[in-house]
Amino acid sequence: MRTLWKQLQGSLRNFWRGLRQWSGDSAYETYLACATRESAQKPMSAAEFYVEQLNRKYSRPNRCC
Amino acid sequence: MKRLLQILIWTAVAALGAVALGTIAFHRGEPINATWFVLAAACSYLVAYRLYSAFIAAKLLALDNTRATPAERRDDGRDFVPTNKWVLFGHHFAAIAGPGPLVGPTLAAQFGYLPGTLWLIAGAAFAGCVQDFVILFCSIRRDGKTLGEMARDEVSKRGGLIAQLAVLTIMIILLAVVALVVVNALKSSPWATFTLAMTIPIALLLGVYLRYFRPGRVLEASFIGVALVLLVVVAGQWVADSPYLAKVFTLGGVTLAFAIIAYGFAASALPVWLLLAPRDYLSAFIKAGAIFSLAAGILLVRPQVLMPPLTRFVDGSGPVFAGKIFPFCFITIACGAISGFHSLISSGTTPKMIQREGHARFIGYGAMLLESFVGVMAMVAACAMPPGVYFAINSPASIVGATPEAAAATISSWGYPLSGATMTGLAHAVGEQTLLNRAGGAPSLAVGMAQIFSSTIGGDRLLSIWYHFAIMFEALFILTVLDAGTRVGRFMIQELGGRVWKPMGRMNWMPSILLSSALIVGAWGYFLYQGVVDPLGGINSLWPLFGISNQLLAAVALVVATTILLKMGRLKWIWVTLVPMAWLVVITMTASYQKIFSANARIGFLSQANAMAAQLAAGKVAAAKIADTQRNIFNLRLDAVVTAVLAAMILVLLMEALGQWYAILSRSKEPVMQETPYVATQWAEGD
Repeated sequence: MRTLWKQLQGSLRNFWRGLRQWSGDSAYETYLACATRESAQKPMSAAEFYVEQLNRKYSRPNRCC
Repeated sequence: MKRLLQILIWTAVAALGAVALGTIAFHRGEPINATWFVLAAACSYLVAYRLYSAFIAAKLLALDNTRATPAERRDDGRDFVPTNKWVLFGHHFAAIAGPGPLVGPTLAAQFGYLPGTLWLIAGAAFAGCVQDFVILFCSIRRDGKTLGEMARDEVSKRGGLIAQLAVLTIMIILLAVVALVVVNALKSSPWATFTLAMTIPIALLLGVYLRYFRPGRVLEASFIGVALVLLVVVAGQWVADSPYLAKVFTLGGVTLAFAIIAYGFAASALPVWLLLAPRDYLSAFIKAGAIFSLAAGILLVRPQVLMPPLTRFVDGSGPVFAGKIFPFCFITIACGAISGFHSLISSGTTPKMIQREGHARFIGYGAMLLESFVGVMAMVAACAMPPGVYFAINSPASIVGATPEAAAATISSWGYPLSGATMTGLAHAVGEQTLLNRAGGAPSLAVGMAQIFSSTIGGDRLLSIWYHFAIMFEALFILTVLDAGTRVGRFMIQELGGRVWKPMGRMNWMPSILLSSALIVGAWGYFLYQGVVDPLGGINSLWPLFGISNQLLAAVALVVATTILLKMGRLKWIWVTLVPMAWLVVITMTASYQKIFSANARIGFLSQANAMAAQLAAGKVAAAKIADTQRNIFNLRLDAVVTAVLAAMILVLLMEALGQWYAILSRSKEPVMQETPYVATQWAEGD
């Protein structure tokens, strides 16, 4: 029973993490991890990143018919 | 032993699929249960995925999981982001799933359920999924290059320009036709108009919230937004019941068209965070919820399919659109079986996020199978209503008449019994003044969905709420395609304009933004207006034009894919892309020829224009209608020119490609490939 509960918790955690990734909710965290790892420059703030990311995303086809 | 068990299971799945397909193909007389459609589609998809996609992955593409993908090599946390394959599948599916697979099958149901269902299943397995998968693979091997860039690099410079122009032309036709679907769904409907209008302030509210209060917190904002949208769906009923408000929100087709044109301009010119992005978030959640609910509803209710397998309109005299099964069923179904537009997504965001080459099979091939399944469900929803009701909703007034009694008499004379009281009662039950003459697919699909949903939850009491929920869902995500497409079209015009006059290419220069937004909105707005005032309902001319352009783009993608595969030396298996490419060229060329030159005035643009011109010359047109008739004649000739230009584009690209293929096969020229050099992955297996 305890193992089952743990498995359920793990699945829910994975689902939540996937949902956040899919929707873009965790995009800034992903960017921050990458920026601090690989760039010496000061990373963008959450608001700056949000606007910059949207401008890039909606300048190319990203929704189909 | 395990192998034997696997073989037995897959043989059972294949046998079940064959029985289900045989049942829907040879069933005659009594209505057939929708479960057969679900079984036929699901088993066929499973077998296609297990066998055909595995064959393509192993033999044609030779996917290599030891090769680092662009996401690994260029990981920047922004464009290139290694993403879990299930998450990327959801991402890719949300991007490719638009209104096309819902509207196309609904319109094609006028031939009966059989031709459309068979093409949805076979077309996806052998053409649509192949295109998405192969283009995704080609783009992964080229650092996520776009279709246009690959056409330029691998076919010719002219090929690249043609691909770019084809995308822009298709975008214009696509935006016009989806806007027309929204207009036909909202006209004279205060409830639906109010609900959709309210999504604009909700999106603005979310935009400000996500920009200034909780930057990037998409999930919490989307939950708030979805709750507000559901609230305005219910509130729409109060508006429809209020004499004053109902009057304010009861709009005609032309007014709605101008409102949508103004909205498109605003969405293109305003900052993207304010209106476009938050609407997209709302749309993504509601789309996922509605598609899941429709699938669950069909499985729970298991409705009877009342439409016959083949209707009398296989002869080409259909009231929804004119033309025979070949080529118009394939042109009309479009996105549910194969969509050229998907190649833009497969060569856009997805290749930059994929973790392993091997995931391309699940994401490229698998997501398209799911899209095709959505198309089959739309076909079931449209065919589950009595055929008479389906034709009454989707036929223009000029063919069936404008009153319930006239429409019922015409449709009954075709052999599909219908009474005027049925249509009046149904309109009343879903909270509308009328359901007649709403060509475009959205209202009939909404009626079908509402009947399935209300059989699951709420019964007849909730029919009107479900109907308006379905209309809101379709209109919301059509408007998302509209505003995102307008913005991308604006960028394309700025880029092309920048080649002629440099300042035009400055993306942040306000005069350039306003001018290019006006140009793109003016272009699709013109076709939209033309569709709204078209005496044959607009869908009759615009949807085939959209289908032709979409399938032409798919042919462009398959030409590029075939060229790349030949350069890779995969001649033995080249039929995998060559056969669907040849099929698309044949159906698009036949459809283009018929749409331009057919002597039948309901099919051929020129013969319809000539018939109108003859009436005008003979003085048979009333003085008040002369200007309208002249405009209709001009529009029909314009449609003929657009169709001819589209056909010419693919022929030029094909000639360019044939030159390349000859050079490769005759070894007169060493093939030059622009593939990124091999770099071994640093990730352990299973990462």
